[in-house]
Amino acid sequence: MKRMLTASAATLALLSGAALAQDLVFPVGEGAFNWDSYKAFDAANNLDGQTLTIFGPWRGEDQVLAESVFAYFAAATGVKVNYSSSESYEQQIVIDTEAGSPPNIAILPQPGLIADLVKKGKVTALGQETQDWLAQNYAAGDSWVGLGSFAGPDGTKALYAFPYKIDVKSLVWYVPENFEDAGYEIPETMEDLKALTEQIVADGGTPWCIGLGSGGATGWPATDWVEDLMLRTQPADLYDQWVSNELPFNSPEVVGAIEEFGWFAKTDANVAGGASAVTSTDFRDSPKGLFTSPPQCYLHHQASFIPSFFPEGTQVGTDADFFYMPAYAGKDLGKPVLGAGTLAFITKDSDASRAFIEFLKTPIAHEVWMAQKSFLTPMKTVNADLYGDPTMKKMGEILLNATTFRFDASDLMPGAVGAGSFWTGMVDFVGGKSAQEVADAIQASWPK
Amino acid sequence: MDNIVGKKPALLWAVHLSVLALVLLWVLPVVGLLVSSFRTGDQIVSSGWWQALSAQEAQQPAIRIAGTEVAQDGVFAISGNLYGGKGGAISAWGTSSREPEAHAPGDTAELADGLRLTVQENGDFSLTSPASLADQRLPRVFTTASTPPEFTLQNYRNVLFSPLAGQSIGQAFLNTLTVAIPATVIPILVAAFAAYALAWMEFPGRALLVAFIVGLLVVPLQLALIPLLQFHNWIGIGKGYLSIWMAHTGFGLPLAIYLLRNYMVGLPKDIIENARVDGATEFQIFIRIILPLSFPALASFAIFQFLWTWNDLLVAMVFLGTDNDKLVLTGNLVNLMGSRGGDWEILSASAFVSIAVPLLVFFSMQRFLVRGLLAGSVK
Repeated sequence: MKRMLTASAATLALLSGAALAQDLVFPVGEGAFNWDSYKAFDAANNLDGQTLTIFGPWRGEDQVLAESVFAYFAAATGVKVNYSSSESYEQQIVIDTEAGSPPNIAILPQPGLIADLVKKGKVTALGQETQDWLAQNYAAGDSWVGLGSFAGPDGTKALYAFPYKIDVKSLVWYVPENFEDAGYEIPETMEDLKALTEQIVADGGTPWCIGLGSGGATGWPATDWVEDLMLRTQPADLYDQWVSNELPFNSPEVVGAIEEFGWFAKTDANVAGGASAVTSTDFRDSPKGLFTSPPQCYLHHQASFIPSFFPEGTQVGTDADFFYMPAYAGKDLGKPVLGAGTLAFITKDSDASRAFIEFLKTPIAHEVWMAQKSFLTPMKTVNADLYGDPTMKKMGEILLNATTFRFDASDLMPGAVGAGSFWTGMVDFVGGKSAQEVADAIQASWPK
Repeated sequence: MDNIVGKKPALLWAVHLSVLALVLLWVLPVVGLLVSSFRTGDQIVSSGWWQALSAQEAQQPAIRIAGTEVAQDGVFAISGNLYGGKGGAISAWGTSSREPEAHAPGDTAELADGLRLTVQENGDFSLTSPASLADQRLPRVFTTASTPPEFTLQNYRNVLFSPLAGQSIGQAFLNTLTVAIPATVIPILVAAFAAYALAWMEFPGRALLVAFIVGLLVVPLQLALIPLLQFHNWIGIGKGYLSIWMAHTGFGLPLAIYLLRNYMVGLPKDIIENARVDGATEFQIFIRIILPLSFPALASFAIFQFLWTWNDLLVAMVFLGTDNDKLVLTGNLVNLMGSRGGDWEILSASAFVSIAVPLLVFFSMQRFLVRGLLAGSVK
């Protein structure tokens, strides 16, 4: 009996040890992580017994990754973290803040929506110190400060949201071996990319897979195209004016960018399935055309998250790879990068909420996620060798080397346009309407 | 007389055929979904579910050669089976995406750097090389082959047993039951009283009140989400089970009262008047006479309300919250699909998991449903 007891005690001890080890994916003090920053944060914060509710957009596998980061925050501060998400998080956060039961921290990918919440006085400002920190520690820091700054209820602009976890959008995906088989080269300029498109058509292939289908959000992949082409045909300050509607949507500059997209998507020979298939193909199924036999297409324009929709077992770097969507050699606009990302903000102020924003400033909050998968950060002090795979590192370099970084325009525009008429307008455009007609309709829908 | 008799079978045939057509119309998508739930995501995207049932000849996606290298007489060789021994009959193969059908089974292809590759009809391959292949990218093989049907239970395993981020489907089942059962019982209790009063008790403004309740049927519940949650926060019940029971009760009451009142109005007047003459109080009439007679209507509304609360996601997200330990079944299944959705295989399997309890409820109570659906419609 006594032996049994000791045996079960030993098992228990083993089990609890395993549970602890599982809580933190990388043991503190091991590997090339910035553990000093973590230990300093650990020493400076002690909030035992407090609870922090976080509401974010990550579900499924992403939720597991996010919680692995929050575990470090919990271990350092003693705060109990409750993370939750929902499929309709955009609506949910509005309902919760309006009704008076908001989470402590909300994390959202739509700056336009955050601007609304800030204007209604539902968000706590982060303060000058955090603003200076962002400007110094993020690559192209001022553009990140601009992204997280909104006009408060009294109209003064201040930093309200902290950018964390970035996606790079200016990527073109391809299968290297298909390129080798056909003898194609990776284009260095937009002129080359267009020439390659024509070359593939001349060789009897189909260059592009484009799918705009996304349920209620059908059309958004086309907005990324137009934004990327806008940044490649017009200077960045015109892009900013476009976002704020100082440059009307139906001005020749914007119509030109839409027509550029039409050059790729509205020519039957350029797209798998013909132009009519563009709107009916789901964006999640669209990249699979790269991998069929014979290949349905050779090129696919999509953000850094898309490998999760490649066929099972696809090795990024070997079976599939990407290149930077090139800029026009003929226009001197540098190397613009289009991105998207999530921003964290305080919807219910507490010591734990403040500590969480402080935690996001430690390199460890970035390194833990990037050492696993699908995480990019513009933070300069993180150890870039920690990226979980070479592909992510390559994307991280695009982010760090960007001469111009601009956030997804449709996320910045008012909801009625950025999550409404811009999407449906793109569907109409691919469906046959002219760029001018579509742009006029979108301009008319802009909230006055 | 003869021609009437002669017409009957034709009419009967028409009825039978249209019933058959309707049944097919409903069952076919369900069968498709069931077959899809046993296929992997890649299979679902690459071919229709009807093709899954028999062997299909098709050009397969590229398979990269993998295996351990064996060195013999200065030649490095890798051999194995392309399909991992699962079977398949190759009719043509190639190593270039440009010519995926360049070789016949049994042929040997000469590749760059002196590599030689042979692929047999059953998928066995052997690759030889004059130099070591370690750390090199091995060639891809494109095959045109007929592969046997392949099904997997992995989707159901994912849905039932993958404890993603501290969620478990068992807990979610319990949560949904905790929501659905009281949210079915409470509105029935309240509505039965109200319906009796509106049907058989005389008081001024009764007709107006009925009209008002019927009017409430057309109010979309989304309108009430924010004010109702504000109210719940104000009276202090916040988010939780009590909050969601109240919400479901409120949203279900107009239909419940309307349905039950119309049924009760149709009950024979004589019984109730007799009871009144015999000195029964209103409460006795309600308990002893009306309730037992209204059982079919009560049961049919219970089915409606239970199915609605079982399948509900929106109200649960708002009034119960999204915490892992409070997540209802629908919320859990949606989260399984990942941040960007689109995992069809998970969707189809989870549809069958979540449908199990409602089916049970429906089949055990369906005889009331048919009777109850007619409630109030026939006088």
